[in-house]
Amino acid sequence: MNRLVYLDHNASTPVHPEVLEAMLPYFSERFGNASSVHGFGRAAREGLDVAREQIARFLRVSKDEIVFTSGGTESDNLGIKGIAAARRTGHIITSQIEHHAVLRTCETLETQGFAVTYLPVDEYGMVRPEEVEKAIRPDTIVVSLMHANSEVGTLQPMTEIGRITRAHGIPLHVDAVQTFGKVPIDVNAFGIDLLSFSGHKIYGPKGVAGLYIRKGTKMTAVQHGGDHERRRRAGTENVAGLVGFGKAVEIRGRGMADEAVRLAGLRDRLWEGIRSQVDEVRLNGHPTMRLPGTCNMCFRNIESESIVLGLDLKGIATSAGSACTSGSVEPSYVLVAMGLPLDWAMGSVRCSLGRGTTAEDIDYVIEAAVPLVQKLRALSPVKA
Amino acid sequence: MQYSATLLDHFRNPRNAGMMREPDGVGEGEYEQCMDLARFYLRVREGRVAEARFQAYGCGPTLAACSAGTELAAGTSLEELADIGEAMIEKAVGGLPAERRHAAAVVALALQAAARDALARRAAD
Repeated sequence: MNRLVYLDHNASTPVHPEVLEAMLPYFSERFGNASSVHGFGRAAREGLDVAREQIARFLRVSKDEIVFTSGGTESDNLGIKGIAAARRTGHIITSQIEHHAVLRTCETLETQGFAVTYLPVDEYGMVRPEEVEKAIRPDTIVVSLMHANSEVGTLQPMTEIGRITRAHGIPLHVDAVQTFGKVPIDVNAFGIDLLSFSGHKIYGPKGVAGLYIRKGTKMTAVQHGGDHERRRRAGTENVAGLVGFGKAVEIRGRGMADEAVRLAGLRDRLWEGIRSQVDEVRLNGHPTMRLPGTCNMCFRNIESESIVLGLDLKGIATSAGSACTSGSVEPSYVLVAMGLPLDWAMGSVRCSLGRGTTAEDIDYVIEAAVPLVQKLRALSPVKA
Repeated sequence: MQYSATLLDHFRNPRNAGMMREPDGVGEGEYEQCMDLARFYLRVREGRVAEARFQAYGCGPTLAACSAGTELAAGTSLEELADIGEAMIEKAVGGLPAERRHAAAVVALALQAAARDALARRAAD
């Protein structure tokens, strides 16, 4: 029996046992609708209030500035479309390496008459603050940039970018789905007005997320219905999920810094183990300004999917950068934007580590990956 | 993605992998949309394939289909191999998901090309 090693924590994480325990009563005795006035409703509302408090405390913001949503995608949509709906016209700045939740939202807004600038990134996947400043126009209504890219893990220079947007009086939306609960976020120091964050990347359940909206930010709701979330997002709250989300955030708050150091050590152990034994491999993303648990590597002249399948057969879950869909392969748009040539970009594999990852796991992955890459290279008619 | 046990076995333990010295026929198949490339080498005895070997760049199903393709080719006449269809390759790996059918296509193209090359060399002798 193979060892099972899960290295896809940027995609999703297992629910923490304490989170599950906190959620369970809200599926049974505390099942009420948080908007109901009776005791069942009040019990549910209480859970929701605690969750909001836990998250607000973690972010050091006011409870009223947190809006719960159904996922990071909805948070991104609400943040950007909410500003656009309030302003009705204008210009949006984002980058070429954003999550599709942001890119496709911006593309949709383009069809509705909004102008969008998609900023380039450097070889590390970093947006240069001066490019943000250059792109600002008199009609710019929002700048939307991710805190860390999910594929390569590069952290954006948020303090510098926030200083620029603040100086110009432009709201800054940050997709922090990959960083929330993993690295420090200071919405005031970063000058953030809107922040998207999600539960299932930090050992909470799927289907719960949030959007921080700084008091005074002009927004219009994009989903209409009841008066939930102070009329900023209609729809009955997923109480059990949100209770779990609050618990997950509380747990992350206990040991985030130590865990980041531990993961960065394991991440570097993985890269060193691969780099020292495999030719023609490169690390993607910034060497230091990077998520502690993310190691994205390119193996030249091998297709990512064959590596991912080979590792999967050894019980190791990773993620391929290039995706073969409907008979055609799309290299990762993030790596393409970073300027990687196709013979490199086609062979990218992302390993994202998490709380269950051990040094023994990493050594097992190295032990499996090195001969696999050598075998696939031996099969390949493509030579460097 | 669900793959058959046969496909996974070929991927894990590819048969007849690697190049061949002084082959009697060589052919390549390429599937440009996904950049997969398969190359087959044939050793021919009395009009039939005595040995087939392959090299390939591509996803797991393509590598597995190449391996299965070498086993299919062995013992086959060059004329039959020049006509080999995708369906036979797909069957040999126990089926392919719809999004991975190109694996059979690229292997069929490469085997057909190798057979034609061997036939052309024989005609030239």
